[in-house]
Amino acid sequence: MAANYWDSTQAKYWTFTKPELSELRHQLTQHHQPTVSKFHLPDRRHLSIYMQTNLIKLARRLNLRQQALATAQIYIKRFYLRVEIRRTNPYLIMATAIYLACKMEETPQHIRLMLGEAARQWPELGVTETSKIGECEFAVISTLQSRLICHHPYRALGELQGTFGLGTEEGTLAHNIVNDCFNTDLPLLYAPHVIAITAMFLAVVLRPAGQMGGSAAQSALAGFAGLKQAGPKLGKMVDWLAESEVDMEAVIDATQEMVSLYECWEGYSERACKEAITKFMREGK
Amino acid sequence: MQGTPYAPQRHINDHYDIVGFISSGTYGRVYKAVSKRNTAQPAQPVKHPLSGRTIEAFAIKKFKPDKEGAELQYTGISQSAIREMALCTELSHQALIHLVEIILESKCIFMVFEYAEHDLLQLIHHHSLLPRTPIPAVTLRSCMYQLLSGLLYLHQNWVIHRDLKPANIMVTSSGAIKIGDLGLARLFYKPLQALFSGDKVVVTIWYRAPELLLGSRHYTPAIDLWAVGCIFAELLSLRPIFKGEEAKQDSKKAVPFQRNQMGKIGEVLGLPKRQEWPLLQSMPEYSSLASVSLHNPAVNRPLTLEKWYRNTVQNNNYSGHNSSPPDESALDLLRKLLEYDPLKRLTAEQALKHPYFLGPDSNGKPPSWNCFEGLETKYPARKVSTEAHEIGTGSLPGTKRSVLPDDSLLRPPPKKMRDG
Repeated sequence: MAANYWDSTQAKYWTFTKPELSELRHQLTQHHQPTVSKFHLPDRRHLSIYMQTNLIKLARRLNLRQQALATAQIYIKRFYLRVEIRRTNPYLIMATAIYLACKMEETPQHIRLMLGEAARQWPELGVTETSKIGECEFAVISTLQSRLICHHPYRALGELQGTFGLGTEEGTLAHNIVNDCFNTDLPLLYAPHVIAITAMFLAVVLRPAGQMGGSAAQSALAGFAGLKQAGPKLGKMVDWLAESEVDMEAVIDATQEMVSLYECWEGYSERACKEAITKFMREGK
Repeated sequence: MQGTPYAPQRHINDHYDIVGFISSGTYGRVYKAVSKRNTAQPAQPVKHPLSGRTIEAFAIKKFKPDKEGAELQYTGISQSAIREMALCTELSHQALIHLVEIILESKCIFMVFEYAEHDLLQLIHHHSLLPRTPIPAVTLRSCMYQLLSGLLYLHQNWVIHRDLKPANIMVTSSGAIKIGDLGLARLFYKPLQALFSGDKVVVTIWYRAPELLLGSRHYTPAIDLWAVGCIFAELLSLRPIFKGEEAKQDSKKAVPFQRNQMGKIGEVLGLPKRQEWPLLQSMPEYSSLASVSLHNPAVNRPLTLEKWYRNTVQNNNYSGHNSSPPDESALDLLRKLLEYDPLKRLTAEQALKHPYFLGPDSNGKPPSWNCFEGLETKYPARKVSTEAHEIGTGSLPGTKRSVLPDDSLLRPPPKKMRDG
């Protein structure tokens, strides 16, 4: 587990192929056909960006660490693979996921504090009793089948940064790319080190283009302008990868997913997401 | 929760028949159970994933809801339960108690484990009954080997158990050792917070490592190896080697210095010295160490572990019981486990390679995974009460799960949002 990702419940039960993922989602949609067709939702990645933005706000209020935030996002991703989002209160799920993730990452927060901050942050939450979070916690743990230990790309990122000779800026950029990956399906598809390598690869390629302190998204959209300048570092990385047993197809696919995420990000509208959620929360049963 | 599409999938009473009550603790109660018999279709036999054998009986740990009596409320699951649920779900090893499933139902958590007929404390009790008989050397060796194998697995997976003691080490009727109770266990890979800040008090006092007694803020898996040393000694002599009295926390919630326990260790080993433990001086309670000898002068003329061992072996009167005593390597292993300096203390991996496990009476073979192999003794089965309120909680010292009730772990948050 913690030492060996390949033996982990994440690898064994919560990692899928793309066809498996779409089949799971298809089944869920079929099962809730009337609700699904009644409420149109924005792109899944947009919803994810919306939730991440909101989770970060809550995390700042509570002074949480990145790792707890990442774990909470994984819980939410897994949960919505089993439960149709239109039939839930996403704000309650977010508050509960954070509450549970904090315990799991050994930085527990009191349930009353969690509820108070969540309610202040999200008037839409509509929950005033801590027992609601407690009840939802049972639901989340049941749905996740108690498989609560998560492996994140941050560890591999820390370990390999030196190997690849990443500078501080590239390191930060890679880190941000990993943060962004929680808005894609990547954590449900690939091993954490694959995502870490993808992030570093993108960081090395993109950084010269994004030197003006832009975000990963801006850099990605500026295209692979830095490809040539990244030469030596990239060469070193490619050599290392060639000799390693890292699944290169996975890295390539993950790279495409990330680039596609940044394209998709352009069309993100916070308002559209918020309204869509409010609509199904208000009108759904 | 609208629509509540998350109804519990399984009901405890649909699948298990409770046979009786085993024990209770701060966390809740443990029951013995078997698969439900009188259902329309016979239950699928539950197989152990590693050995493939059918699990006949179960131990069901029911976590106590916070408030009893009053109407049950969801109050948030305790950190200890969360840890145990997550770790037991993740881990799998033949020397670790196997979790069959977790059922969350009507505000209660039921963890269903494979049932183990005995535990090391029971074995020790059985041998200490008159006429007192020593635990045979072969059994002892097998117990230690299996225990250390399970511990190595835990440590390789970045898990510190933090509550090893004879009562938490199960023994199945086929002689397999199973480490149990992971309620205090936690991951130690780059923790977000120092281990100390999470749980101020870990490990039952008699098995608590000296670095913990001296207030170390950062501790390592070595604390589990100290506990293993204490258990080894207890299996040899049938009584706790360092049976101190716990100093209770005062009203200010400050963690007191465990002078009495340190004294008990000192009576045998002498007090730790800077020359032998270079970082000793940096221990928060280093200055309190001097006060130990004022209260307990015996620490100035310690018995020494060698003398303790000789006395123990002699008292055990192995020849009178037709069994040979453990050889000298047992003393050497014991000494290296009960090493003051956690950096010098054997790791689980090193301990498993110790000559003790390939001693003369083992014929060069590694110890058996059945600690009862070749044994005529029949150990009594675990006591299971059919009347739930009959059994008290006993007088053994427990381990504090946390200073406050679990969900009141309110503390100032860490300073900044930092990266994992």
